[in-house]
Amino acid sequence: MSAVAVTGLGAVTALGADAASLATGLAEGRCGIGPLTLFEHGGRCHIAAQVPELPPVGRVLLPPATQRRLSRPDRFALAAGGEACRHAGLEPRERADAAICVGASVGGMHEVESAWRRRRTGLDARWRMSRLVATPVAVSAAALSQALGIFGPRLTMSTACSSSALAVASAAAMIRRGQVRVALALGTDALCRLTYAGFDALQALDPRPCRPFAADRGGLSLGEGAGALVLEDVSHARARGARVLALLLGAGVAADAHHPTAPHPEGTGARRAVEAALAEAGVAPEAVDYVNAHGTGTRQNDAVEVAVLRAALGRRLGRVAVSSTKSQLGHTLAAAGAIEALVTVLALDTGLLPPTVNVDGVDPAWDDLDLVRVPGRRQALRIALSSSYGFGGHDVTLVLARPG
Amino acid sequence: MTEAVAVTGLGVVSALGSGVDEVAEALIAGYGGCRPARRVEAAPGAHLAEVAELEPRRWVRSSVGRRIDRTSLLALAAARLAVADAGLPPEAVAGERVGLAMGSAFGNLAETETFVERLLARGTGNPLVFPNLVLNAALGYASIELGVTGPSAMLSEQEASGEAAIQWGAQLVADGVVDVCIAGGADEVTGLLWRLGDETAHWSRDAPRPLDLAAAGPCPGEGGAAVVLEPMARARARGARVHARLVPDPGFAVPAPVHGWPTAPDRVAAGLRARLDGVAAVVASASGQPALDCLEADALALAGTRAAVTAPRGACGDFGTAGAVAVVVAALAVSRAVVPPTVGCVQPRRPDLDVVRGAARRTPVRAALVTGLARGGIVRPVRLEEP
Repeated sequence: MSAVAVTGLGAVTALGADAASLATGLAEGRCGIGPLTLFEHGGRCHIAAQVPELPPVGRVLLPPATQRRLSRPDRFALAAGGEACRHAGLEPRERADAAICVGASVGGMHEVESAWRRRRTGLDARWRMSRLVATPVAVSAAALSQALGIFGPRLTMSTACSSSALAVASAAAMIRRGQVRVALALGTDALCRLTYAGFDALQALDPRPCRPFAADRGGLSLGEGAGALVLEDVSHARARGARVLALLLGAGVAADAHHPTAPHPEGTGARRAVEAALAEAGVAPEAVDYVNAHGTGTRQNDAVEVAVLRAALGRRLGRVAVSSTKSQLGHTLAAAGAIEALVTVLALDTGLLPPTVNVDGVDPAWDDLDLVRVPGRRQALRIALSSSYGFGGHDVTLVLARPG
Repeated sequence: MTEAVAVTGLGVVSALGSGVDEVAEALIAGYGGCRPARRVEAAPGAHLAEVAELEPRRWVRSSVGRRIDRTSLLALAAARLAVADAGLPPEAVAGERVGLAMGSAFGNLAETETFVERLLARGTGNPLVFPNLVLNAALGYASIELGVTGPSAMLSEQEASGEAAIQWGAQLVADGVVDVCIAGGADEVTGLLWRLGDETAHWSRDAPRPLDLAAAGPCPGEGGAAVVLEPMARARARGARVHARLVPDPGFAVPAPVHGWPTAPDRVAAGLRARLDGVAAVVASASGQPALDCLEADALALAGTRAAVTAPRGACGDFGTAGAVAVVVAALAVSRAVVPPTVGCVQPRRPDLDVVRGAARRTPVRAALVTGLARGGIVRPVRLEEP
């Protein structure tokens, strides 16, 4: 299977408005989880990894009325997608036929909730289309397409927390088949009352910043943001002189067929996703150096994930560095897969492995787990995995490599 | 190496009935499923395309499936019907060599409404309902119920959510990654959705008039539709009846307002022209929404098609995955040599388009094209050919 080049990155996260500030924040071991101020909320958890400032729309080809109607995830997507295209140095004609693959989950729900409140309190005497047009999850991809002048195939995928890992996998597949030479793969998601209240009601939120793989882990912290990757046919990237940051060697997609929210206790789907990804990449488990884990910080997820890594990597696990970016960025849900793929690319490119912060002691059941702790680690990597699992049992693993 | 993709099973649950034969009969007879609302709370006389009977016990087998929502149930019912139509036993669609692709524009609306109402009123969420609110609930339930553990995806592409899912699934088969793929989608209509569209003057309260000069808005509908896709060689080897061959196509996009319909039909026409080559039947996206109908009629005319055009949203109503119904209509056009009439179209917007009206057209269809137009400039065509 031929490799796909990663040539551009863009991000909006709690740690900053671009990929560079994310890289700095990760390297400094900063935790982006702080007070949740975006909306009033009950519940027992009052923190989240909120994006501090809504990114400006910037100079894009969108009329002012359209710009006003963009949702929070649309704005994140435009900022991250624009940055990734600039980073890759894509000229307008080089991206005109590119694909856009977006992973998203709630769309403009934050905006809908506000409109809903106005309607039910009588502030709006009737529903207004201008407050509703941002609702569908497919709007972020439309905004990217129209703002950046990208008119190739367009996909919006939603498999909860693995949405944008699936979008990255689907974008890479299109390049491999020769359907497109360039693709913008992106995940975007925003905090909203619905997500907060749902996870709070499930008692899945930790009132303290999340501590993935810790003995005392107590749930997840919600986050928001966007991550974008420009994927490209390797020969196309080389021909135009683009710097190849990393190679996407393979992807694995599988399902648990087990439960609407809980992972399969043995992680059967997740394990097959890892195995399928390694098989597609033509990489042996012994060659894996680093895993950017799903690592939500819930008791169940982390236990299943370690079991999956043990099963898929065997004795190699003890020599594989593992970190969970969610300890720094919270669980950005549909954006997590793309953001974590981006973080993995950064680790391959810089040799700087991001730490898992907030963790005092790793769960003693996992003495074979080499969790990267504060202040991070400097290690030259060759092969890395990034895994994402979603509600409904939708599992995706990506295999990334340092070029050359 | 690319596998030819065979369509071996069709399943539909809609206002036109349940199961491909019942739905085909209704379509060919020109029956309109848009009727004064009965189940959904709407103004007296307002037209909706509602699914009359949807009994969970008929479709749900697992214990976790007892909490299934209506949209997921529509998708599951369509998937089970498609599997039965393909002549496959249930165990043949379980396992890791089976793929699943589902589409939905809005997912589970009814429970999202009650959840948000409670949240805004009391400030708390309902933990029993929340797992059903993810957009991929229909995908999760279908995977659990059918036992599908291969690659799966939920797609949401406005009005082209059904076409997008079917094309994603077809690509899995073409890539040789799966032996069988079930692909389709579902959307539901609720009282709130009707009210939103009514207060914003989006819906027509009367039956819709797709591609007609008098089109005054779509009629909200609901339903689920799915196809079973297999590698052609495998389908032939097991002696399956092949409805049609599906041409995998990633689609394209055109300049458009982010939240609305493209205004320039020439780009749509340019993209569709090659895909319309040799096509005898076009299954249109037109819903009675004037901006969409204009765009589509102009684009088809510009592309120079002489195909018979039919717009099933006149019969089954407008919803994000009505395009999956359109794919079923196209497959039936190829396999049964019949193009159903466009319910509600009396005087076509463009006289140079051959819109099938009144009675169904019996004619050999070697190739049919679903246009797959959606807001924001998405185009997800699905071309079906004689196997």
